[in-house]
Amino acid sequence: MKRIGAKTALAIALALGGAVTMFPFAWMVLTAFKTNTEAMSPTISLFPAQWQWHNFADTFRAAPFGVYFFNSFVVAVIVTVAVMLTSLMAGYAFARLEFPGRRVLFAMFLATMMVPFEIALIPNFVLIRSLGWYNTYAALIVPWCANAFSIFLARQAFMRLPSDYFDAARVDGCGHLRFLAWVAAPLVKPAVVTVALFAFLGSYNSLIWPLVVTSEENMRVVQVGLTVFSGAEGVEINLLMCASTIVILPTVALYFAAQRNFLEGALGSGIKG
Amino acid sequence: MSRCILMYLTIAGLLGWAGCAAAPDPEQTRPRKFKPIDATAATFWDRQTTESADLLRELAAEFNAQRQGLPIKVEHIGGYSDIYRKVAASIQARALPSMAVGYESMTSEYVRSGAVVALDNLLTDPEAGLPLKEIEDFFPVVLDTNRYPDFDNKMYSFPFCKSVLMLYFNKRVLADAGIDEPPRTWEQFLEQCRKVKAKTGKFAYPVSVDCSTVDGMIYSMGGDVVSGRETRFDSPEARRVFELLETLAKEKLAYQIPPGSYDDEVALAQDQVAFVLRSSSGRTALERLMGNRRDKWGMTTIPQADPANPRTVLYGPNICIFDTTPEQKRIAWEFVKFFTSPEVSVRWALGTGYLPIRKSAAEDPALQAFWAQWEYNRAGFDCLAFARTEPNLAGWQEVRGLVENAETAILSGIQSAQDAATDLTRAADAVLARQ
Repeated sequence: MKRIGAKTALAIALALGGAVTMFPFAWMVLTAFKTNTEAMSPTISLFPAQWQWHNFADTFRAAPFGVYFFNSFVVAVIVTVAVMLTSLMAGYAFARLEFPGRRVLFAMFLATMMVPFEIALIPNFVLIRSLGWYNTYAALIVPWCANAFSIFLARQAFMRLPSDYFDAARVDGCGHLRFLAWVAAPLVKPAVVTVALFAFLGSYNSLIWPLVVTSEENMRVVQVGLTVFSGAEGVEINLLMCASTIVILPTVALYFAAQRNFLEGALGSGIKG
Repeated sequence: MSRCILMYLTIAGLLGWAGCAAAPDPEQTRPRKFKPIDATAATFWDRQTTESADLLRELAAEFNAQRQGLPIKVEHIGGYSDIYRKVAASIQARALPSMAVGYESMTSEYVRSGAVVALDNLLTDPEAGLPLKEIEDFFPVVLDTNRYPDFDNKMYSFPFCKSVLMLYFNKRVLADAGIDEPPRTWEQFLEQCRKVKAKTGKFAYPVSVDCSTVDGMIYSMGGDVVSGRETRFDSPEARRVFELLETLAKEKLAYQIPPGSYDDEVALAQDQVAFVLRSSSGRTALERLMGNRRDKWGMTTIPQADPANPRTVLYGPNICIFDTTPEQKRIAWEFVKFFTSPEVSVRWALGTGYLPIRKSAAEDPALQAFWAQWEYNRAGFDCLAFARTEPNLAGWQEVRGLVENAETAILSGIQSAQDAATDLTRAADAVLARQ
C-alpha cells in the first residue's frame, strides 16, 4: 500500500514536471493561432478565442522561409556529416593512437572550449572576408566542421572500448581506419548519434554567425528569418510563434527519432541537460 | 589530476598570450580606406521589418530607377545590437557597407575607428550639398543630435527615423475616475494617478524602465541631463523625477513591466491603466492593439513643469556613411538626400509612424489629410519644435544602463530617490570621466 502511494506521488510529481516543461511549447503552438492583440495579452490564456489559421500564410508571406529552410538543411546536414567524420577520427586518434605530444595536443583542443564564441567572432569574420567567403555556403559550413566538444565526446566513447577488440582485429590484419569504420564506430553508436545531434542542433539553431557572414536573402537561414518579426516598435508575437513552431518541427522530429541513442550517449559522457 | 589541471591552465594561458601577442596594433595596420563589402552595390544595413522594410525597399527601388550607377541595396541585419556587432567585425575586416542605421552611441564607436565620413562638407558643398534654405527646413533638433561633441562637434550621421516621447492615455479609464482631460503638469499627473487608483482600483501607469524616458521627464521638469561631461542627475529637476517615480511606486499607482516588453501598451488597450509614456512611433502599434477604436484613447505632450515652455526628448536612429570608395560615398549621400527630401520624408512618416523631419512637411496635403483623420495624429509632429536630444557623448551607452538600474532600484523600493540620484550621479560621472 505504502509502495503504491509512493509510486502515485512520484507519477504526480513527474506529470507536474512534464506539464511545466511542456507549457512553453504548448503556449508557443497555441499562440501561433492567436491575433497579435490576444497574443500580447498579459493574462495567460492558453487557447485562442478564434483560431487564426491565416497566420501561417502571413508568416510565409513575411519572409522567404522556403529558401531559409533549404539553406538551414543544407548547412546543418553538411556540418553534421563533417563533424561526425572529424570527431570520430580525432577522437579515435586521441583514445587509441600513441604519438608524441598526444596529451598536450588534446589539452590544447580542450582549451579551445574555454574561448567564448564572441571572442572568436571578429577574427573569424576577418578570415572569412579574406578568403572571399562572405555570403557563401562555405562561410556557413567550414568554420563549424570540427569542434573540441564532439572530439572529446568521441574520445571518451572510444576509451571505454576494451583494447582486446583492437588486438583481435589487428591479428586479422585490420588497420586503424578499417577498425574505426567497421568495428569501433558501430560499437559507440550512442556517442556517434549524440555527436550528430549536437552538431545538427548547433548548426540549425545558430543565429549570430549566419547573421554576420551573410546579408543576401538567398543565403539566410531560418533562425535569421525569425528576426523579421521583431521590429523596433514591437514584436509580432503571434507570427513569431507561428514561425517558431514551424522552425522547431525538424529538430523535434530528429530528437524523437534518435531519443534513445541520444540519452545513452549524453548520460555516458556525463553531460547534463 | 592536479598535473593535468595545471597543464590545461598553462596551455589556455599560452593560447591567450599568443592571441594577445599576435594581435596587430590597429592604428599601425589600418589602411587609409575601407573597401566596400559589395563592390556591385551601395549596401545599406538596416533593421526595419515587415511593412516598414517593404516601404524602405520600395523607396530604394525608386531611387535606383531615377539614376544610373551603383544601385542602393537594403539589407536587413537583425536588431541594433546585431548591426553594431556586424559593423564592428566589418571594421576589423576593412570591408564596410556604404551606410548603416544606428544610434549615436554606436556611431561614436565607429568614428573612433576612423570608419565614418563627416558630413559637414558634403552638406554644405555647392554641388553635392543642400541649399541653406533646405538645411533650415530641417527641425534643428534632428540635425543637432547628429553632431558629436567628442569629435569636434562634427556631423557624423544624418536623421533617419525620428520620434518623440509622448503621453498616451485611456479615455475610458480617465472617465471612470471622473477625469475629463489628460494632465498638463506633473502635479496633475500624480493627482490623476491617485484618482484613478481611488475610483477604479487600477494602477495608473505601467513603467517601462528606459533611460530616454527618464531624460525626457527631466527635460520636461526644466532640467538638463548633462553639463559638459558631467551629469546632472542630482539637480533639483532630476530629483523631482526620481521622487515622482518613488511616490508612484510607494502608493502603488505605478508598476514596472518586464524589460523589453510592450505590456504597458497592451494594458492601456485593455483598459487596465490610464497612462503610458512611449515614443510617438508607438502610435501605429497602439492603433492595432486598440482595434481602431479611436474614441477610447489619445496621445499628447508629456506633462510639464511649465506647460508654457514645454520640452520632451527626441528618439530614433540615424544613418551614417562609411569611408569606402568615393563612388560608394557619393551614392550613399545621394540616397540620404533623397530619403530626407520633403516628399519622401512625408511618405516615410505616413507609412511607418515616424515623424517627418522637415518643417515644410506641415504644408504637405497628404500629411494634412492624415492629421485631419484624427485629432491626435498631429500631436507628435507638434512636439518636434521643442524636443531635445539626448547626450551623444562617448560612454553614454554605459550611463544609460546606470540610469535604468537607478530607476529600477527606486521603483522596487531598494533605494530612496535621494540615494539613487546621488549614487547615479557619482557612477555616471565616473564613467564619463573615464572616456
